[in-house]
Amino acid sequence: MQRRQFLKGALYGTGGTLVALSGLGAATAALNPRRAAAAAPVSRKTVYSSCEMCRNQCPIAVKVENGKVVKIDGNPNDSAFGGVICARGNSGPSLLYDPERIKKPMIRTGERGSGKFKEVSWDEAYTYIAQKLKAVQEQYGGEAVAQTSHIGPYDVFFQTIGKAIGSPNLFSHEATCPMARIIGLNTTFGTAAINADYANTKYLLVVGRNFFEGIHVAQTRAVAKALSQGTKMVVLDPRFSVLAAKGEWLPVKGATDLAFIMALANVLIDEKLYDEEFIKQYTVGFDKWAAQVQDKTPAWAAEETGISQDTIIRVARELAQAKPHSLIEYGWRTTFTADDFQLRRAIMIVNMMLGNFEVPGGYYQVKDAGTLKKVPAMAAYAKKLGPVKVPPFPKPKKGRIDGTGEKGTPRQLTPIADGAVGQITETILTGKPYPIKAWLVHRFNPVMSIGDTEKTLAAIKKLDLLVTCDVYMSDTAYNSDVVLPECTYLERTEQVFDMSGLTPKYVLRQQAVDPVYADTKPAWQIYKELGEKMGYGQYFPYKDIDDYVERQLAPTGISRKVFAEKGLWTPAGMKPFYVRSGDAKAPLTLLATKSKKIEIFSDAVQEATGAGVPVYVPYPQPGEGEFRLIEGKVAVHTNVGTHNVPVLHELMSENTLWINAQSAAKLGIKTGDTLIISAGKYEHKGTANVTEGIRPDTVFCYHGFGQISPQLTRAFGKGINDNKLIPDQLGSVGNSITSMTFVKVRKA
Amino acid sequence: MAKHYAMVIQLKKCLGCQACTVACKFENKVPDGQYRTKSPAIGPSGTYPNVKVFFEKQACQMCQDAPCVKVCPTTASHYNKDGLVLIDSHKCVGCKYCMTACPYDARFINKNTGTADKCTFCYDTRLTKGEKPACVTTCVGGALLFGDANDPQSEVARYMATHRTEVRKAQFGTRPSVHYDYEGVK
Repeated sequence: MQRRQFLKGALYGTGGTLVALSGLGAATAALNPRRAAAAAPVSRKTVYSSCEMCRNQCPIAVKVENGKVVKIDGNPNDSAFGGVICARGNSGPSLLYDPERIKKPMIRTGERGSGKFKEVSWDEAYTYIAQKLKAVQEQYGGEAVAQTSHIGPYDVFFQTIGKAIGSPNLFSHEATCPMARIIGLNTTFGTAAINADYANTKYLLVVGRNFFEGIHVAQTRAVAKALSQGTKMVVLDPRFSVLAAKGEWLPVKGATDLAFIMALANVLIDEKLYDEEFIKQYTVGFDKWAAQVQDKTPAWAAEETGISQDTIIRVARELAQAKPHSLIEYGWRTTFTADDFQLRRAIMIVNMMLGNFEVPGGYYQVKDAGTLKKVPAMAAYAKKLGPVKVPPFPKPKKGRIDGTGEKGTPRQLTPIADGAVGQITETILTGKPYPIKAWLVHRFNPVMSIGDTEKTLAAIKKLDLLVTCDVYMSDTAYNSDVVLPECTYLERTEQVFDMSGLTPKYVLRQQAVDPVYADTKPAWQIYKELGEKMGYGQYFPYKDIDDYVERQLAPTGISRKVFAEKGLWTPAGMKPFYVRSGDAKAPLTLLATKSKKIEIFSDAVQEATGAGVPVYVPYPQPGEGEFRLIEGKVAVHTNVGTHNVPVLHELMSENTLWINAQSAAKLGIKTGDTLIISAGKYEHKGTANVTEGIRPDTVFCYHGFGQISPQLTRAFGKGINDNKLIPDQLGSVGNSITSMTFVKVRKA
Repeated sequence: MAKHYAMVIQLKKCLGCQACTVACKFENKVPDGQYRTKSPAIGPSGTYPNVKVFFEKQACQMCQDAPCVKVCPTTASHYNKDGLVLIDSHKCVGCKYCMTACPYDARFINKNTGTADKCTFCYDTRLTKGEKPACVTTCVGGALLFGDANDPQSEVARYMATHRTEVRKAQFGTRPSVHYDYEGVK
């Protein structure tokens, strides 16, 4: 064997582009530290907190030695985590002590995108922003200010600025991620707070989600637990993901998942395998759905999806056999097609045909304090967090730029708190429906996340003001007028998070160490100080974050000490609460729909789109010589946020383009070849990873690579920026469409 | 009875997520670009659409008949009282004989100390305090079992009694203490 190959390369699907990882360091005995270490006393403590290497806020235990974070574990006090945390969570100290973090507020001095900034004091930065915003407000109105953030604890502080200005144009990143699912749930259950009990399910059909690479520790562990107990898993995905490797892989033709789901319903009805009692007692509109799927036979779906009729029938029967402890996963990033929310609705409708609501191994409504209030026997277990009251904000003078909330259009379904973030660049460029002149961005990277990187860059050039607050000089920060340095999650305390599931749960992020860079600040402080500078102090009526937390906890009777000792609070003695586990006919008093039923037919969706039950829409498929470009997550990175974190960058510094072996052979492409990926308007270079693990009509790359900020010196320019190739195209409810891009591939 | 620490790796449960890889780096202060453990992908193998891939955690195999100990000219590589192969960095002269001898390529010269380095099962920082190795406690897929194989009641002993496990490169006769269960992946 070859020597020194130990631990070389080989994360999954990198096509051998990883660097050698071991062994070749300086090897001189002269470096041998024979001296005895001086026996200085070591101060050690563990701080319970909440991770932010992604957005899931997993409870963590931070080990601190002499004021330095040395190790991060999962919080062992939370049984859903059991001390476990993922690779990203483990990497926290690498971000914390990275010298490439932004350390001071900065104002641009050169051309936009030149990377020339001067360091300024916080007061100078606030004054500059306040003056610019005021000018925009006076000339164009408060609505000319847009705000975007990833979505997180900072929003309550960040968005206060826009609300105080009177802007309706506040956006989350949800339209680029789970929004179709949120709308699917809202319109069927009256709430999006519906979770799945993966750990106890006996049969799991997953539609495009990837628990084992897009890791959500509690959910990933629950799926892994179910598999270890013998649960069968079927995975619909054009790509052979790690999840697919652990189950039965069905390489579905892209954008046809709804055909598969409708055919399942067809079989369940045709063979009388669905839970008729459940449908009768708890739902409305089933007859309309039955009519809709009547001709959606397995034979028809086999043509559409490329999955055989026999397989479709078998999966339907297996789901029915395991019901009600079987479930079809509703999806994570749900932005594949223009009408993705109807796919998510259809998935939940078939789930209800399995009768899997409020039983172990099925779906359940989140049991937070507010929901428990509707169930008298349970109400005493938890009290709601206190509101932190602020005066009423001025009413925006105009409607939103994206039509969110407009009755009689699909956008009436779009959550007002999210909006269609992909609309912003279009509006900036066209001035329609009215100009956007200032853009405030917090921990979000539109240059890499709103489709069409070049379009976003062009839009930025037309702004009067772009402010970005982040921990790194992100691609968007690099092109901003003002850059504000946030401190990392390990350096700040935040408000109490409600992370309820089958029982209520509150989690507190608690500062583990002093800021490593003295001039970085937490979001709550940044926006409170900016707000005060702008004369909006009344909207920030708390002294500091500790005061804020006290106001939240006051009505709950929970002592702050609980969080110091455990990191989280759950009600003592309460067992996981499924409404129907003991009594299959128990009333669902907690349902949040107006009809108090699960709405298979939704009046709201009917009014908005004319399709009160999901209707099949065929989407174009790639033509001769074309491939569908799809993208996804890898376990060692989060979206576009971690590619420059030293330890994670070291593990995976570049992505590749997965291409099916037969398709590659036709084009003379071999693994390692440099390719030109062409989406027509734009091209991008990439390295080939020839694999048997993808459909012949599809190519794939992991998302978030090919970053364009030169001040992310490690991640800069490495790999494929899929976002340059995917256009800024919006679906019916404003979701950014991510799986409808066709590309051609050739050797460079 | 003397302890015999052993690890069982259930490959079908490993997600290749590298949580263990990173946990180890911080637990053991392993320098940039170097690793005591890593879980590379094996595959994919097969032909579309019948494809397989799995991940194989690699690190020191804690051999009971360790070539690295045999070749070490300074006795820096040694068995400790619990039968673990460890390196006394005060005795190591960085000659790399052990690196050549190790059939698993598990060793490297630590960039910071200039001496040979490898997995210790977190002996000093965790085992002696009654904790399991950092990779085991952070394993997202629950693939890693750890304990005293000489204790018939331990999780590893019970698992090995009821499952077919293998050691890597058995032909070298090194008698590793790390056992792999390939059921469901090959």
